[in-house]
Amino acid sequence: MLPRSFVPIIAVSSAFVFVGQMLNFPIVYGTSGHLVGGAFLAMLLGPHAAVISMSIVLLIQAIFFADGGIFTFGANIFNMAVIGGLSFYVVKSLSGPSPSQKRLSASVFTASWLSIVLGALACAVQIGVSPMFASAGGVMVTVPAMLFWHIIIGIGEAAITNALVLQLSRISPAVLGGLTMLRGLGL
Amino acid sequence: MKGITKAIVLIIIGLAVLIPFASTYPDGLEKVAESLGIEEPEPMWSGLMPDYTFLFTENSYMTRLISGLIGLFLVFSVAWGVGWALARKNRV
Repeated sequence: MLPRSFVPIIAVSSAFVFVGQMLNFPIVYGTSGHLVGGAFLAMLLGPHAAVISMSIVLLIQAIFFADGGIFTFGANIFNMAVIGGLSFYVVKSLSGPSPSQKRLSASVFTASWLSIVLGALACAVQIGVSPMFASAGGVMVTVPAMLFWHIIIGIGEAAITNALVLQLSRISPAVLGGLTMLRGLGL
Repeated sequence: MKGITKAIVLIIIGLAVLIPFASTYPDGLEKVAESLGIEEPEPMWSGLMPDYTFLFTENSYMTRLISGLIGLFLVFSVAWGVGWALARKNRV
């Protein structure tokens, strides 16, 4: 786990992700997407604290804003917190040891895009096997539909995450704890 | 600690500025449900500020801003508390 000095950064980055998830950006055909922030948290906090941070965001949304829901809380934790946290390892395997800034950037971009697509795939399977969507065709219908939108939405996620990580690495590299762990510098 | 205050101020400014530009179109999941003709069932628990509205007033700029600020404060506090409880004690 992280040192105590990282507690304020956990608090701020969780608050940031909460706000980011409120602000939808339009994509195409009258549909919108919003930042999920799982990969971003993984770059700031490392994989474990990122899962906890995202779970707190989802919990507050479910309890206070009826967003996400109580019954679906576990599914949401898997789709966004766990899959988001795993982005850490995606970035790690894509960037390799001592990556250039360019390669690191490309890895962060790909990992955040993938976190959205994989989260959407998991969600598509979950809703596809639920009785509510059975009449509509089940997974055969939900998987392609969810993937279609989230392949596009994922580009937004990737662009935002990449811009944030780049900016932070310029102005305040110390807050990128996940990145520090990734480079094996310890924390 | 100065950086933390700065970051929070920036987040609040970002929220206040971007709320009017936030898209009200359905998101990916909502769009899929909509296109398949599936309606969201009545939730078991409808929250205190359902869908980011405050005190059941209509969905306007102020209600979204206030509920956003409340949510921001709640997430910040809970994350701080949980982080403090879980973080390593042996380093400053």
